[in-house]
Formats: sequence, structure tokens, C-alpha cells
Amino acid sequence: MQAIVSIQNATKDYHLGKVVVPALRGVSLDVMQGDFLSIAGPSGSGKTTLLNLIGCVDTPSAGTVEVAGRNTALLSERELTSLRLHTIGFIFQSFNLVGVLDVYRNVELPLLLQGTLSGAERKQRVSALLDRVGLQEHARHRPNELSGGQRQRVAIARALVTRPRLVLADEPTANLDSVTGQNILDLMKELNRTEKTTFIFSTHDARVMAHATSLVRLADGKLAERANAPSAAELAEVAEHAPDARAGAAS
Amino acid sequence: MKAYVDTFGVVAQIALRNLFASTWKTLIVGGIIGFGAFLVVLGTSLLDSVDESMSRSIIGSVAGDVQVYSSRSTEDLDVMGGFSFDANAIEPLPDFAQVRTSVESVANVASVVPMGINNSLVVSGNTVDQALERLRALVTARAQQAPRPAGDAGYTAAKGHVRQIITVLSGDIANVRQLQDEKSLALEDLSSVTRAASDEFWSGFDADPLNALEFLENRIAPLATDADMLFLRYIGTDPSAFAQAFDRMTVVLGEPIPEGQRGFMFSNYVYEEQVKLKTARGLDKIRDARNNRGAKIATDPDLKRLVHEASTQVKELLLQLDAPKTELFRSKLQGYLASSESGVGKLLESFLSMTDENFDERYAYFYRELAPSLELYRVRIGDPLTIKAFTRSGYVQSANLKVYGTFSFKGLEKSPQAGSLNMMDLVSFRELYGFMTEDRQREIALLRASSGAQDVNRENAESELFGAAPAAPAPTANPAGGSPADAHLPRDSDFGEALASLAGSRRGDNDAGSGYDAAQLRQGVILNAAVLLKDDGQIDETIAAIEAAGQRDGLPLKAISWQKAAGLVGQFTVLMRVVLYTAVLIIFVVALVIINNALVMATLERVREIGTLRAVGAQRRFVLAMLVFESIVVGLSFGAVGALLGGALVALLGKIGIPAVNDVFMFFFSGPRLYPALGTQNLVIALVVVLIVSVASSIYPAWIAMRISPREAMQSED
Repeated sequence: MQAIVSIQNATKDYHLGKVVVPALRGVSLDVMQGDFLSIAGPSGSGKTTLLNLIGCVDTPSAGTVEVAGRNTALLSERELTSLRLHTIGFIFQSFNLVGVLDVYRNVELPLLLQGTLSGAERKQRVSALLDRVGLQEHARHRPNELSGGQRQRVAIARALVTRPRLVLADEPTANLDSVTGQNILDLMKELNRTEKTTFIFSTHDARVMAHATSLVRLADGKLAERANAPSAAELAEVAEHAPDARAGAAS
Repeated sequence: MKAYVDTFGVVAQIALRNLFASTWKTLIVGGIIGFGAFLVVLGTSLLDSVDESMSRSIIGSVAGDVQVYSSRSTEDLDVMGGFSFDANAIEPLPDFAQVRTSVESVANVASVVPMGINNSLVVSGNTVDQALERLRALVTARAQQAPRPAGDAGYTAAKGHVRQIITVLSGDIANVRQLQDEKSLALEDLSSVTRAASDEFWSGFDADPLNALEFLENRIAPLATDADMLFLRYIGTDPSAFAQAFDRMTVVLGEPIPEGQRGFMFSNYVYEEQVKLKTARGLDKIRDARNNRGAKIATDPDLKRLVHEASTQVKELLLQLDAPKTELFRSKLQGYLASSESGVGKLLESFLSMTDENFDERYAYFYRELAPSLELYRVRIGDPLTIKAFTRSGYVQSANLKVYGTFSFKGLEKSPQAGSLNMMDLVSFRELYGFMTEDRQREIALLRASSGAQDVNRENAESELFGAAPAAPAPTANPAGGSPADAHLPRDSDFGEALASLAGSRRGDNDAGSGYDAAQLRQGVILNAAVLLKDDGQIDETIAAIEAAGQRDGLPLKAISWQKAAGLVGQFTVLMRVVLYTAVLIIFVVALVIINNALVMATLERVREIGTLRAVGAQRRFVLAMLVFESIVVGLSFGAVGALLGGALVALLGKIGIPAVNDVFMFFFSGPRLYPALGTQNLVIALVVVLIVSVASSIYPAWIAMRISPREAMQSED
């Protein structure tokens, strides 16, 4: 198996005025094609920063991040954007749909940005995905007419419509109730299995971690642990931390 | 290509939906833009129309399309210049024939009209002078015929009139003595009036009428203050060529100056405003204001003042009344007012204290019953008018010219700008200006030969002059002038000119009605010339061509457009344009700030959306395109609405016309109403301006939006 993401000793510092806040302090990580990787860790441990680096919305202060074989530090803003557009799908905690566009257009948007498919091809692909996430009937609805679970399914469809090699999900179930979250996770898992799409998601939720094929834990900006599958003890521990982690919000 | 269209589609879709989603922002921004476009269309249309109609006014009234004058002049020519314009600053062009040949060699020139503009002071015949003149004529007539001491009603009436005037005068002087310190009034004057008003004086009048008249003329007439100085601006020209070139000119009263005749024509505006009896003029003004503006005497302060003036300044009327007229007025007014008052002054005061209720009736009565007994104008059409003007070197030159009539320009009848210029023949103008005709030069040569005074230089000209001609009637010579610039003028010397002045006053009475050789109009000195073009769209090219022709022919010709020739008046629209554009600029700068703020706020509200678009793979230029597209759509749609509204208003105004609220606007509007026309360029300018403003105002917000990091999408909402 080939590494889709390869991180070597990456650090990331944020500057708050004159204060330098280290968010990542040297993380090395390989993510294989087809992985269903969960990134766990308490608030402030660097989960979102790591996702930002992998998602090419940010570049490391030091070290290297390679996504699909390309060193992000060497890419221009435009190239990074292009890399995101063609290689990566995003699922956000707050769904982040474009409010003024209907479900169909939201899903079609990345294809329009790519500008490579014809109208018919786009229609076919969007329809197929809407079928897949069970929202064909809601194609002409605006996001604010949908429930949270439906919105996240639209977001998933949007993330997958370009057939990306990698999908990043930042706490995808955090804003959903447990049943809906479970459904979303099932959907992601199924897509991971059938489409061989690599999923990387951050979460506090032990039940979410339970679905992961591998798991990394961050603590204080460092990789604390790497496991192929979380142990029961780990799950219990994470579950214990979960409530205060939620209260802490963004990490 | 297809992909671009689709991408643009999504840009447009997001942009348009955002516009509808944030209605308040769209409406505020659009409203401002629309208002701006409205203003630009309306403003530029009105200005273009005023420009157009004013150019017609100026070109059609005196300036012509192009004015030509000497490039050696020390000031710019200003044909509308009023009294601030110094005619002496314009260097004369010695021969119109040369100028004409040179200018007419330019293909686009249709005609050339010779001109000169100057100012003069005219002492209009005052009532005392006129009455005394009449009396003197009668005295002379009586002296020549067999004396008929009794039964000469005209003679008695004339005497009675003079006596009436003196009574009015003595009352005046008594008043003045009360108001002022006695010292300021010479006792001599008082005693003169007392003597002239006395019965002894009048009973002795018939014994020695000439001496008595001389006393009245020398002592009493100067005390009458109703003699008004008229400041007249006049243009000396070839009257028939002028009338042909400026076809808006129409004769209102009398007839045009006949070809080959010396003569004067009043501008009808001047004639009405300054020469007409003040009371009558005041009544006319009140009537016009009431009829045209719907003004009321009761409420309008101007009209109130006019009524007050008319009713308190009846002296002007009283002075005109001799005994029979006084009796006539008394009986008429007593009857009309049903009053037993016997003083005609009191009766007139009461008659002229008009109100809104009785104005129309009394106005009609005034003109029907009273006016026929009055001289309504201080200068009658057909009478000679003595015009005195300072020549270039300061001598007073005078000419007696017959007043042939009055003229005005169609559509500009009430415009003081177009109506300020009176007219005389060019030959008389040259004399008043200080140029000498061949006749005059010959005459001077003769005078000089007979007086043997040819070696007098300027320093002692005064003593020599007065010494040499002590019996001259009224040589108001002033040798103080004379500038070095005179050197190349076709005249002998200042002394020669002084003699000319003298000669002029001697033969002054002969000026009126005397003719001249038509060739004198075709050649000889001019100050400037109006050039009318075949195609007035090529003014600039023609100006260059005329100046080139002048250079080729060795003439110092300077050509300027009508706009420059009209001086400040011509610059009016330029000034208005500056004002309008400044106003528009301010509005749009304010608009820019407001729109900018609204867009910045809107952008900040959309940080997550834009961050998401960026994260999902939208390039910065996509975000830029989205925001600029929004601005352009708002700008163009609301701008179009505003421009259309403005255009509709202009079209409406073009139908009903904008009334000229006063005489000045008559000139700018080239008539009583301005009918603005909408040009395509007005709409295009408005839309271009609006487009620039909308794009400019979206630059900063777009810059902010482009800098929004895709990381913003990752931040959670809470």
C-alpha cells in the first residue's frame, strides 16, 4: 500500500502578536491509501492543525507534509487550492454548505470549480451521489430546509463528488445526535469500503473511534500513540474524557 | 470554454442569490447608485441643454461663432463684458477690408461683421432742459414774427410749465435743506430758485425773455436732479450686415438705421429698463410679475417696494405737467378716485398706491387716460441723442445721433445680458472712439492752418487750447490721457484730437441724419469682428485657420470662440459643470464609502462561506469575480433604473419646459423656457460613472474576501 499522506517531523507555530504558540511540535505520520483514520486527542492537542496541514489549507512551519506525493511547503497558494480541489474532499463539523445554493448545486459546486466535466456528466455524478446519501428527493431544497443529518449527508456528497483520493472530516458527528452520527459514520465507512476513499477524521467520540481502522492520538502537539485499531481500554478512556473535550470545542 | 461558462454561471448564481439574500445591503447600495445615476443624467442633460441654448444666445446676439481681434491687445476681448471691460485694451485693427479678405479666405467662414464695443455716458434730456428748450424755441419764434403779447396759449403754457417745475424744485430744495446741513447747499442756489419762483421774475420775463432764459438755463436747470445719467454700452457696426448675420435681431420700435446713415438704436431692454419713465416701468414690472409669476403685491417684497416707489416718487410725473395737463390730471384723478383733494401730487400718490384688488384696473387707466399726456420715454424714437465718450487718450468726444428705433433678439427679449448692447453705425463709433475720418482730418488741417497752432505739444496743450479757442461752446477737453500705445494709430497727435473734439462739438448738430460713404464701412478701423461659420461644429479648426491666414497676410489676428468672447458669461456652463461634477464627485465619494462599508460588512458576514469555497477548491479569483460581479450587477441594474428615471424626467421637462425664473435665466435658456434634450452620451456617462464607482467600491471588500483563509471553514460555529 502506498502512503497518500506522509508527514515528516512537522511543526506548526501560530503567532499571537509577539507570543509564539506551538500547535504541533514535530509530528510524523504516514496515512495509507484506503485508511479510515481517526485522529483523537483533547482540545488544544493539535487535531485541527494537523488536519489543516493534511488538507493543504495550511503549511508546516518546519518539517514536510506530502499529500498525494507533493510537498505542500513548495506549492503556491494556487497550486494548493488546485490540490484541494482535485485530491481532497472536506467534511466540516458545521457542514458549511453554501446557503444560497440548493442541495443539487452545493454538491455540484466542486465539479463546477474543476470545470472538466460536461453538464450531463455532472448531472449523472451528482444524481448518483444524492441517491447514495438518500437525498435525491431533496435536490431542490435549500440547506436551511434540511435537518442536521441531511445537511451533513449533503456535505459528504459534496466531498465525494470529485472522487477525491482523500476525504478529511473535522469532527463530522459533533453537531449531530448519536443516531444520526451513527448513520453518517456508517455511510462514510461504506464509501471507504466501496470507493477505496481514504478518510481521515478528528473526533472526541469513542463510538466514532470504534469505526476507525487505525487511530492516532495527539497530546500537546505531539503524536502520543499510533494504533491500528483502538483497544477497549483506550475506548473507555476516551469515552471518559469525551464530555470535557466537547466543552473545550476547537483544538 | 463550456466549463468557463458554467463556472461563470455558478459565480453569477451565488452572487445574484447573495444579492437577494441580503436585501437591505442591496437596496442601500443600489439606492445610492441609482440616485447618483439619476443625478448625472439629469445634471449633464440640463447642462448640455443650457450650454446649447446659451451658445445660441451668445452666437445669435452679438458674438457670432468666432470673434477676431488684434493679437496686440493687452486684454482678452469680452463682448459681454459689461462696464468692467476696457475697450481701450483692445488694439484696433487698422483696416477692416484687409481683415475681411484674410478671414474670408478661410473656407468655413460664412460672413464677417465689423465691430467695436465701447461704453459711454449719456445725459438723457431732463425735463427742465426740455421745457426750457421748448420755451426758447417759442421765444425765438416770437422774436422773429410780429410780437403777439396776448392770446399765445402755447407760449403761456410753456412758461407755466417751467414755473411749475421751479415750484417743484423749490420744494425739493427746501426738503434737502432740512435733511442736510445748510452748508452743503450753496446759498446762491437757494436765492436763484427763490428768484426764479418769484412773481417779479415771471412778470418781467416777457420784457427780456432771452436773459431770463439764460438765467434759468444756467442757474436753475443744473439743480434739477431728475436728469439721469445713462451708462450705455454700444456696439459700432455695419447695421445692415449685422442684421443679416444675426437673424435673431428684430426691430421692436421705429426702424433700423438706414444704410449709409449715422444713427443709433437702443436695445429694447435698455430702452424699457432705463429710458422709460420710472413710474411706468415700475407698473410694467408689477404687471409682469403678477401675470407671469402669480406674485402678489401683498406678499411679494419686490412688488411692495415697486408700489411704494411709484407712489412716493410722483415728482417725475409732476415735472412733466404744465398747467393745462395739471388741470387735466386733477379732474381725471378726482373723478376716478372720487376725491376732493386738489393737489395733483397727492392725487397721484393715492392713485399709485395700488393693491392687488385694483391694480389691473388702475394699470389700464394709467396707460389709457394718463400716459398719453406724458412722455413715457426720456428719449423719443426719432430724437437726436448726444453721446459722449472718452476717447482712448481721454478726450471727450461726442456725437449727436438720431435714435432710429429699438431692437431685441428673438427669445432673449428680457435678457439683460443679450440686451445690454445698443447699436450705432461704425463710422460714428470710430469718431467716438477717437479715430478720424478723412473729412474730420481735413477739417482739422483747416482749423490748424487757420489757427496757426500746429506747434503746440501736449504739455501745454491745455493752455494753448483754451487760449486759442476761448469762445468754444463747451470744449470738455481733458489732456491728461494719451498712452504710448497710441503711436501707431491713424491720427495726428493728441492735440489734433483735441481739435477734432472741438470740431465735433461745433458741428455736433449736423451729425444726426448725416450720411457717410458706404465704403467707410467696408474699410477702415475696427476693434473686432464677428465671424459666422458655415459649419459651427468646426470652431477650433476654423480658429486655427483664421489665425494662420492672418499670419500669412501679415495681420495680427487673434481668433477666439464665442465662448471665450463672451467672457464670464461664456464660462458660465463651464463653471456649472465644475459645480455639478464636484457635487457628483462628492456624492459618489460618499456613496463609495457607504457602499464600501456595506460590502465589507457583508463580506465579514460571509467569512465562513468564502472560507468553505476556498477550502473546497475555489481560487482567489473566483471569490474576486463573485464580489465584483455582485457590485456590477447592483451598479448596472440600479444605475440603469436611476438613469432611466433621470432620462424620463428630462424627457418630461423637454415637453413642458423649465421656466426661466428671471431675466438672467432667459439668457441661459435662450428664451422663456428651457426644453432640455436627452442625449445618448448623458446615459452612457451615467452608466460608466456608476460602473466605475461600483467596481471601485468593491475593491477593498474583495481584497478582504480574497485574503480569507480556507482555514476559516474549519472553525466551528460556537
